[in-house]
Amino acid sequence: MSGAGVTRRRLLVTGGAALAATNLVAADALVPLRFGLTPVFLDNDWQLLERLGAHILEATGHQVEYVQRRTYKEVVALLLLGEIDAAWLCGYPLLQHPDRLDAIAIPVWQGQPLYKAYLIAANDRHAEALTNLVGDVHAYSDPDSNSGHLVTVAQLLELGHRPESFFARSFFTFGHRNVVRAVARRLAQSGSVDGYVYDALALTEPDLVAQTRVVWRSEWHAFPPVVVATETRASPVVLALSQALFDISRSEAGRDVLRMLQLDGFVRPEPDSFDSIARLMRLVSERG
Amino acid sequence: MRFAITLPLSLRVPLLVAGLMILMGLVASQLVLSALNRAQVRQLTDLAEIEFRALSTSLGPYVQRDDIWEMFDILDRATLRDGSFRPTAAALIDARGRVIVSTQPQFHPIGSNGVPLIEQAIQLDDIRYEPASEQISVRNTVAWQGRPVGQLVIDFDVQEFAAERNRALWTLLLGNAAAIMVLSIAGYAVMRRVLAPVRHLTREMTQPAGTPQLIPDDMIPMQDAELAQLYQTYNGLIRAVQARTAAERRLAERERFVSLGRLAGGLAHEINNPLGGLLNTVDTIRTYADRPDVVRNSAELLERGLKHLRDVSRTTLDLHRSGDGSAESAARLSLQDFDDLNLLIRPEIERKAQSLDWHIENGMSCCDCLPAGPVRQIALNLLLNAAAITPPGEELGLRVCPDGEYLCLCVWDSGPGFTEAMRPRLMSDDLIEPGGGLGLRLVRDLVKSLGGTIELGLSPDGRNEVRVRVPRKEEQNA
Repeated sequence: MSGAGVTRRRLLVTGGAALAATNLVAADALVPLRFGLTPVFLDNDWQLLERLGAHILEATGHQVEYVQRRTYKEVVALLLLGEIDAAWLCGYPLLQHPDRLDAIAIPVWQGQPLYKAYLIAANDRHAEALTNLVGDVHAYSDPDSNSGHLVTVAQLLELGHRPESFFARSFFTFGHRNVVRAVARRLAQSGSVDGYVYDALALTEPDLVAQTRVVWRSEWHAFPPVVVATETRASPVVLALSQALFDISRSEAGRDVLRMLQLDGFVRPEPDSFDSIARLMRLVSERG
Repeated sequence: MRFAITLPLSLRVPLLVAGLMILMGLVASQLVLSALNRAQVRQLTDLAEIEFRALSTSLGPYVQRDDIWEMFDILDRATLRDGSFRPTAAALIDARGRVIVSTQPQFHPIGSNGVPLIEQAIQLDDIRYEPASEQISVRNTVAWQGRPVGQLVIDFDVQEFAAERNRALWTLLLGNAAAIMVLSIAGYAVMRRVLAPVRHLTREMTQPAGTPQLIPDDMIPMQDAELAQLYQTYNGLIRAVQARTAAERRLAERERFVSLGRLAGGLAHEINNPLGGLLNTVDTIRTYADRPDVVRNSAELLERGLKHLRDVSRTTLDLHRSGDGSAESAARLSLQDFDDLNLLIRPEIERKAQSLDWHIENGMSCCDCLPAGPVRQIALNLLLNAAAITPPGEELGLRVCPDGEYLCLCVWDSGPGFTEAMRPRLMSDDLIEPGGGLGLRLVRDLVKSLGGTIELGLSPDGRNEVRVRVPRKEEQNA
């Protein structure tokens, strides 16, 4: 039975891919996989999303429905309500709901599932440390972003500053790319940004990034993971999605996705992957 | 001004037309540009209202939530749009005059003073467009749910409007210039064509040599009644002038004969005087035929008297021939001619009991290139005129002397001089009043034909004098 089921599934997968290619949907197709996104981390690149959907369809037989919201908080709410099956989030919102959310896969960037948070400023700015940015208009990414908010606030606390008064004015752009834009356009004098996004932008939009410079880099933190609701952790859809992500380099579409995202692949998270972020959260909650 | 006045009619009219067209072109261009300006202001106002309405609707909720990035992003995207009338910069200013957000944060950072931005901007419902400006700054209130939340100031790029206006201006200028040039050239050509008969007439009337001639009938533009009348009037004028010239010529000829008649009286007297003596001599010969000495003396006396009569008759004959165009009339001037003149005028002088002073300088051989006839006629007419106006018993005289390249003939008298009526006959070409003879006008015509000049003045001893100078060169006597 099992073998016959695998064969049948493979047939369905192959057929579904073919149907997707011709925009035809079979009457008995599997229910769609609802995947939550925010522009905080992933920009609205239709080509990337189309290739990711193609890979997941090929690997799981599920069509992918992207559900996009502006903030992490909105996506987390949808995840907790069961409105979506999975979402690409940051480690910080994941740890805000440790008993409700689980990470199923972590991207691997430059050989490890880690990244750093950057503090950036205008390229003509003479600043070598966070303390040089006092009194700035500062751009954060998202209130629930690790690199785009938590790391900077925690660092200020560690240095003995009050985050709410260290900067003259701060605002959220709800996108790491927007942080870079805000600093490049001089709307903000400094910004908190995801190091991976910043370095990826340096390759895809060098003119934009060239108008800024990195003032400070954080320690390594776990890369933003793909998260599901804990109660769906063992569901076939989630299991299939996990496997599809681990096997992403095996399909043409998956390799396209990795190339466009400048990633190496996905790995299963370790129990201590998010400890560094948890430490920052404790720091903030204790002193905030 | 002088230059403009002296321009020919065929240029003046096209230039006048060109000037009027330039004036009309300027007025029309100004009207077109004014209308274009008004249309552009209306278009600018409409486009600005649409832009403000769209941005205000988009910004409202973000202003209320103080979402800096979204406000910036909305304004920034508006300024990155393409189009002929697009925002180049925008700023949102709160009720306290502080910049909420600006697309030029390097100049207007968040929280900076935004009052100058508001003050420099034009209110949306009062848009004015300065043609020279490439950008205008417009302001309007942003309201959300009926509550004003800030002032939005937008700089609009109006270069395309200025360029459109410049294109219209250049099109008008070039179009007008081309039209003026074409019409001026056409006007010039038309005027040249229209005035061609007048030019022809003018050429005929202003011929440098010769006299104006009648225009043949086949050259009269009969299709143009006005020009035909002009030509016919001209021909009538020429015929009148020719008739008058012929009449003057006949009168002059008659005057010559009148002079001759007057001379004939003197001549009869001159012949009659010796005739008595000669007849007496014949009687003497007849009475003393047997006395050879008496006969011989009488014969000598008779010979002298007859020679005198021969001289008188020959001189008269020469004078008569001088104006008839015969070969003898081309004889050259010599001292003998002045002796003949003396012989001719003397009877008239004696008749009026006047005295004649006769002074011919030596060296007259150099004047043999001058024609004898005209010079003798000039001197004779002047002497007769002097004798006529000089009272009996007074003096008159002739003085002939070479003066460089000229021969100078001076006729003086002790009379009262020329009257005002006589003077123009000798000194001008004006038409002469009827009566009074043509002797002096004949002198003038002869002197002119010899290339000489006439002056009225006083002799060295203070008497009235007429001085005639004629060139002695052969070529001037041709």
